[in-house]
Amino acid sequence: MPGEPLLVAESLARGFGEGEGRLELFSALSLTLGAGEAVAIVGPSGCGKSSLLHLLAGLDRPDAGRVLVDGKDWASLAPEPKARWRGEAVGFVFQMHHLLPELTAEENVALPLLLAGVADSAARAQARELLARVGLVRQATSLPRILSGGERQRVAIARAVVRRPRLLLCDEPTGSLDAAHAADVLDLLLGTARERAGALLLVTHDPGVAARCGTVLTLSSGGLVPA
Amino acid sequence: MVAAAAFVGLVLGVGALVLSLALLSGFQAHVRTRLAEEAPHVLVAPAGRPDFTAAEGAAAKLALLDGVVSVTPVVRGRGWITARGQAVPAVLVGREQRDGIRLDPAQARQLSILAGEDVTIVSSRTRLSPLGPVPLTASIRVTEVAALATGRKQPEAVLPAGMARRLFGLPEGGATGFELRLSDPEAAPAMALAVREALGAETTATTTWQEANRPLLLALRLERVAIFATVFLVVIVAGLNLAATSAVLAATRRGDAAVLTVLGASPRLLGRIFLFAGLLLGFAGTLAGLGLGFVLAVVLDATHAIPLPAELFALAHVPFRPAARDLLAVGAFSLVWSFVSSFVPARMAARVDVTEALRAG
Repeated sequence: MPGEPLLVAESLARGFGEGEGRLELFSALSLTLGAGEAVAIVGPSGCGKSSLLHLLAGLDRPDAGRVLVDGKDWASLAPEPKARWRGEAVGFVFQMHHLLPELTAEENVALPLLLAGVADSAARAQARELLARVGLVRQATSLPRILSGGERQRVAIARAVVRRPRLLLCDEPTGSLDAAHAADVLDLLLGTARERAGALLLVTHDPGVAARCGTVLTLSSGGLVPA
Repeated sequence: MVAAAAFVGLVLGVGALVLSLALLSGFQAHVRTRLAEEAPHVLVAPAGRPDFTAAEGAAAKLALLDGVVSVTPVVRGRGWITARGQAVPAVLVGREQRDGIRLDPAQARQLSILAGEDVTIVSSRTRLSPLGPVPLTASIRVTEVAALATGRKQPEAVLPAGMARRLFGLPEGGATGFELRLSDPEAAPAMALAVREALGAETTATTTWQEANRPLLLALRLERVAIFATVFLVVIVAGLNLAATSAVLAATRRGDAAVLTVLGASPRLLGRIFLFAGLLLGFAGTLAGLGLGFVLAVVLDATHAIPLPAELFALAHVPFRPAARDLLAVGAFSLVWSFVSSFVPARMAARVDVTEALRAG
């Protein structure tokens, strides 16, 4: 049962380039995501799925339209409060994990807390707790380069949810994994999203992954349509 | 690798600056020491009257001042030194316990006189004779030909005080001034005030050794500023290298900056992180450079590593004297320049285009 809307995107338009070479990704895209919902967005490569996620996370500006997360419009926020709100409200999982190579698994997970001003010892304790939750407590002191692809992605998921964001945005989180690891990671994502985040929006090109979410939308012809 | 090059550049720049200033300090300290050793620290002269009389007891009053090591009465006047039909004008200085006259090499050269020969002193004062006023004269043997204290504008001839009093018409015990030597030469300006207070500010004039050698001391200070500015160019270049390194760091870590933005880091925080990285490099390079310059200066000085012909320089080796204020000044300037050099690249890093950076990997 969907609750209050956590994410509202109204009439979004975004394109790249100028003049005849301009590529319009979408022109009037709208989307509403309520608490407790898990939505998958599918579509062919280059259709603008990642760009849409960046707009929803307030990392990019739409050419038109607006995005509200938990009632706050990204466009109305100055850089400092916008960064604070993003850290607090949004968890983001990348396809390529994007862990910082010089930091251990524990430090990577603790990083969002440290950026929010949490004390080092408390941040590390929470990070260890989450690493235990994703089955990586023994790898807490390992650097990303000695972890497997699946392990890195689990660390990235732990990092995304460590601040208990209400909105979890995932950009092809299983794209770089084999089937077995992809299934594990997806279980973890759906579980942690249900447990720690209010809503999950997942972008994927894999219909099998999309089918695990409650709602599947296709990004096509500049808008979202039910798959 | 790029960071290591920037670090080494800064270390060498700062080290070179510290070493140059230590070298300059060594030579300048030597010059100041010689000035302070050879010249009187405070010259006391009468103001509005020709001389001090013995009855005033000025010498005793001066000797009582705290910090005064010695008080030497002098009788100073102008006259001519003649020999073999030649005459040269001279500043004549009479001192107690002096036997014979000491000429400056320039005077001796003009008169073609060597030590051991006799000269005639002709005073600017006259006495009445049946033929009218005639100058006071005296004959004396040249006992020494030597240069006097550094920094004197005119060559001086030194003769016995008694003869000088006769030549310039002073009574027994009279003096045209006093030369003071102090336990702390640097305290001369304060002592000059105390002297005027003790002998009467309106009737006493003083000249400290710093005032007497002001052009020379000013030149030394200017030399110091010029050397600092010139060698600091090396640090400027090293700082530009640091700026390039910071820019490379900002470009290569663009992806990490984007990830930090996604995790909630504000542009200001990102800027601080990159600024801190640049400053850390600047701080480490500055500290290592200060250490390198200091150690080199101490070792070169202690081991007398660079010898000098003593007869030319009055020094047997090149002196290095690293001063705390130089280290502080070099450190402060280098850190400020490191900050300036890191600031612009840090601002660039703070304005990362997240979408673009993540797409680039």
